[in-house]
Amino acid sequence: MKRQLAYFLVIFIGFLTLFGHFINYSPLNNFIDNDATQWFDIISGFAAFLGVINLLQLHLNKIANKRDNWRYSIITLAGFIIMIIFGFIYNGSSVAMGPHLKEDGSAFYWMFQNIYLPLGATMFALLAFFVASASYRAFKIRNFEATLLLISGVFLMIGRVPVGQLIPWWMALEIYICLFFALLANRFEEKKKMLFSLVLCIAVLPLIIYYLNLHNLSIFKIPELQEWIMDVPATAGSRAIMIGIALGTIAQSYRIITGRERSILGD
Amino acid sequence: MNQYLKYIFSPIIILLIYFFFPFSIFLSGNETTFVCVILLCFVVEYFIEKAKNGEEIYMRPIAAIKAMEEAVGRATEMGKPVLYVPGISSLDQIDTISGLTILGHVAGMTAEYDASLHVPVCVPIVMETAKETCKESYLKKGRPDLYRDDMVHYVTDDQFAYAAGVNGIMLREKPAAVFFQGKFYAESLILAETGNSIGAIQIAGTGSSSQIPFFVTACDYTLIGEEFYAASAYLSGSPEMLGSIKGQDYVKVGCMILILIVFISSILNGYGFIDFDISSLFRTNIIK
Repeated sequence: MKRQLAYFLVIFIGFLTLFGHFINYSPLNNFIDNDATQWFDIISGFAAFLGVINLLQLHLNKIANKRDNWRYSIITLAGFIIMIIFGFIYNGSSVAMGPHLKEDGSAFYWMFQNIYLPLGATMFALLAFFVASASYRAFKIRNFEATLLLISGVFLMIGRVPVGQLIPWWMALEIYICLFFALLANRFEEKKKMLFSLVLCIAVLPLIIYYLNLHNLSIFKIPELQEWIMDVPATAGSRAIMIGIALGTIAQSYRIITGRERSILGD
Repeated sequence: MNQYLKYIFSPIIILLIYFFFPFSIFLSGNETTFVCVILLCFVVEYFIEKAKNGEEIYMRPIAAIKAMEEAVGRATEMGKPVLYVPGISSLDQIDTISGLTILGHVAGMTAEYDASLHVPVCVPIVMETAKETCKESYLKKGRPDLYRDDMVHYVTDDQFAYAAGVNGIMLREKPAAVFFQGKFYAESLILAETGNSIGAIQIAGTGSSSQIPFFVTACDYTLIGEEFYAASAYLSGSPEMLGSIKGQDYVKVGCMILILIVFISSILNGYGFIDFDISSLFRTNIIK
């Protein structure tokens, strides 16, 4: 019975929300836009207490039973209790309790500014190092796709720094020639021939391009090339994913509100 | 054949009512969305009906979904826990709901294999739902004795504090399998790289398109885009659910054809061969 009621509520509220987006009936629209979201916030607010209770239970149990790494739980609980004291009991500033949370000089604000924010910023800053290690792994030349990723990644990086603006057209051309030969390298049986062709292209192609007055083309400006990479292939790829996500979202929502998707209720 | 006719006529009747109803009972500006939702729902419903009638549904193998059971099995063999991260958003995000539906299946696997499951959560309301999901899955597999109340626990609401907490769990417990299934933001790479550094087999899935590249780089398997939403249906294996994925795929084919038509007609319109700009039909009121 309990489960049937849960299914009924999911189906009923699901369809009600869906109709609220299309039917012009102000009580229904108000319910969807305001009341339902407020109900959700109220339920979430109460659930916050459950979260706090769960946190206390878990760490107190850990300390009481001296489970592995129980000492970390002391730090967690100490942080929790200190912030409770500074938030509800000890003020430390001249303003009343409540507004003191945002008042420069209160103990809570000091803790927030000098401990909480720097710790958050530290975690965020770690991202730079993780990006470097992840990029290294992604850019390792293993196959054609990884090589393509490496090449476009390098162009993006060069194109987005000021030095990228200073690269002349002929140097960009030389880079393309080198990349072209790097991709074809395996096809050349005689390496001497390849080297000769490479040198010949490096020497002659810039002259031809200059003679034909093609050196002003955007392709020879790396910042413009990186913009094209971002605007065309990258946008096309991300839009394809977005369309898939949109279809997946509708189909998943439909499965849930018709009561077919019941895994969330353990079925 | 007659039994399927309702899937042709019903949407047509609904659309006729929507566009030609004399009174203004429908909100204006949502026409494109309405048409898309109705068509998608009826196509999905049609394929569900076909699947229920016994038609064989072929699903292309998705490596990440296949690897889920292997990952749990590996964790069991190694005697290490399975870590499941359901993202940092609340239940108002479909990604979180999808993450929790997949959690139901993963919890079923851990119950079957007698592996230890650890689910740190960021939002209290998600914690309560995840607890119920796990409890029901263990019960369904006939192993309620293996369910512990502390396997799903609250860490913190703050994004980076949560990332630090989960990283700490990863480094201390060294789980053999890590699942990232839900809505993620900037913490995705921090979590996935830490998981990578401990040598865990990592399976990610998210609808956040900006985080997909990070997961693809750092994880062993990634459910990209609609695969993530289809995972639960795929794992359930029921013909009804598989039929819905088939329907979704057919709609995708329809989208491709539509894109091609719009592309060609836009070119023709651009060069003045036709006067009608077909892309104007697809402008919705989302961007005002």
